[in-house]
Amino acid sequence: MAKKRVAMELGMGSSLRNQDYTKAGLRAVENALWHNALSMADAFGFPKDSMIIDVDIAVQNPDAVDRQRIAQVFPYGQVSVTASQGGLDVEKPSGDGVTVIAHAAIVVSFDMEPAASGHQSQGGE
Amino acid sequence: MKRMILEMGAGNDLYGEDYTKAARRAVQDALHHSSLILFRSLGYDHADMRVHVTIGVQKPDQVDADAVAADLPRGKAEVRVVQGGQNVVDEDNGTISVIATAAVEAWLDIEEKDWVFLNNSRLPASYPLPGI
Repeated sequence: MAKKRVAMELGMGSSLRNQDYTKAGLRAVENALWHNALSMADAFGFPKDSMIIDVDIAVQNPDAVDRQRIAQVFPYGQVSVTASQGGLDVEKPSGDGVTVIAHAAIVVSFDMEPAASGHQSQGGE
Repeated sequence: MKRMILEMGAGNDLYGEDYTKAARRAVQDALHHSSLILFRSLGYDHADMRVHVTIGVQKPDQVDADAVAADLPRGKAEVRVVQGGQNVVDEDNGTISVIATAAVEAWLDIEEKDWVFLNNSRLPASYPLPGI
């Protein structure tokens, strides 16, 4: 398998008032993305669209995450989105509903391999 | 050298007016929103990485740049401190909250000719992106 992971980005987001798991997920993704400016594609001389972007959103109610909307945040790349059990819901003191906290993990990979005469290592550590 | 990533962060010292503490927190914030996995997956050596750190605070001369550099776990780090950041002054209570900005750039000697990009259309179908 030549799919090589090159970077991971992490973020957190919340929905304070209306228990919107998608919005919390979107904010987590934006928090992850906008803390970093990745220039891996340029560094390797690959087209930007060749980035493989695997997103996992962790919230207490993963079924409530609209994965299509999460995928639309990304301007380029081959995006796949999963939602899994995690994050945290915190009861409001008033008793009506919860504050939603979401985590986003974004893994960036390329389908690549060493050139025949190139970089010496293929395996990593 | 090619720049792989620019990591951005903010840190503060709310009551102690410690510009170095704010700067170190900003660096931690910048570092811990990402991970450069390619060192493991592609076999590059961390020691070959150059790390350029720029700290922005309102009083640059009060930042201990060596202390900031010591927090960077890998690569050869250089820290420079410039005018920036933000101070929030509470005149009523006589406090100054110090906010530092950190920009952490990671550079590596990547040769384009060492790697070939494969046609990734044979990978499993990705989540469809409408309009792209």
